[in-house]
Amino acid sequence: MNRTLPVMRVEVLVFGPVRAAIQRDRVTVDVVATEHGVCTAGEVLKALQEQHPALRSTIGSIERARLAVNQRYADGDAAIRAGDEVALIAMVGGG
Amino acid sequence: MMGAVVVAVIVDGPLTRQTIAQAVSLRVDGLNRVLESGTVGSTLRFEGIVRRAEPDPNEGGAARDLRALDYQTYDPMAERELERLADRVCEQFGLRSIMALHSRGRVDVGEASFVLEIASTHRAEGLLAMTAFIDRLKQDVPIWKHAVWA
Repeated sequence: MNRTLPVMRVEVLVFGPVRAAIQRDRVTVDVVATEHGVCTAGEVLKALQEQHPALRSTIGSIERARLAVNQRYADGDAAIRAGDEVALIAMVGGG
Repeated sequence: MMGAVVVAVIVDGPLTRQTIAQAVSLRVDGLNRVLESGTVGSTLRFEGIVRRAEPDPNEGGAARDLRALDYQTYDPMAERELERLADRVCEQFGLRSIMALHSRGRVDVGEASFVLEIASTHRAEGLLAMTAFIDRLKQDVPIWKHAVWA
């Protein structure tokens, strides 16, 4: 029996030069999830790289960027579930 | 010896004497107790001030006159990360106190958008901590600046 894994639609908040470049404060990516409806931060970064060329041209390699999940920096293997707040933290410039 | 005091606040608008006093009013007693403890041999203050000109990436990096910088913050993560950074630097360098304030929103040319005050037993650790904090702020704290051109 074939079991198709679910696809999660993840909304990612963007800020600063990224927001200015794409004229939106968020983007969405589709990520293959586990059967429990979980994907990882690394998978979301990869999806951003693949599904949003405008982000690539603004940030360069999205691998250099970081994600925050529920307002905490997340490693690549951090889990993301439906309802989590996800933000792309790139090109910060305080101080 | 009393514990180190850490204060980190994101403040709406420019950092003036008044807005700073309001922002730290609940913590100023703790900061003053450290200064009066007899353990502080060095105090350092850094102010980041909006300059008149910034390179414009849309003009190949040529300098262009500013009216202001507009600071965008990812709230409440920005203040939390500012505080976490202050905690880490305080511990790493053995400081007696650290106060880090950063603006949110519009700050005009000539106004301060970032203030860092460090109290330490000796100047060596204070000077090192100051540079380390500013370097890490620019990498780790989710704050972005947007140029408002003249």
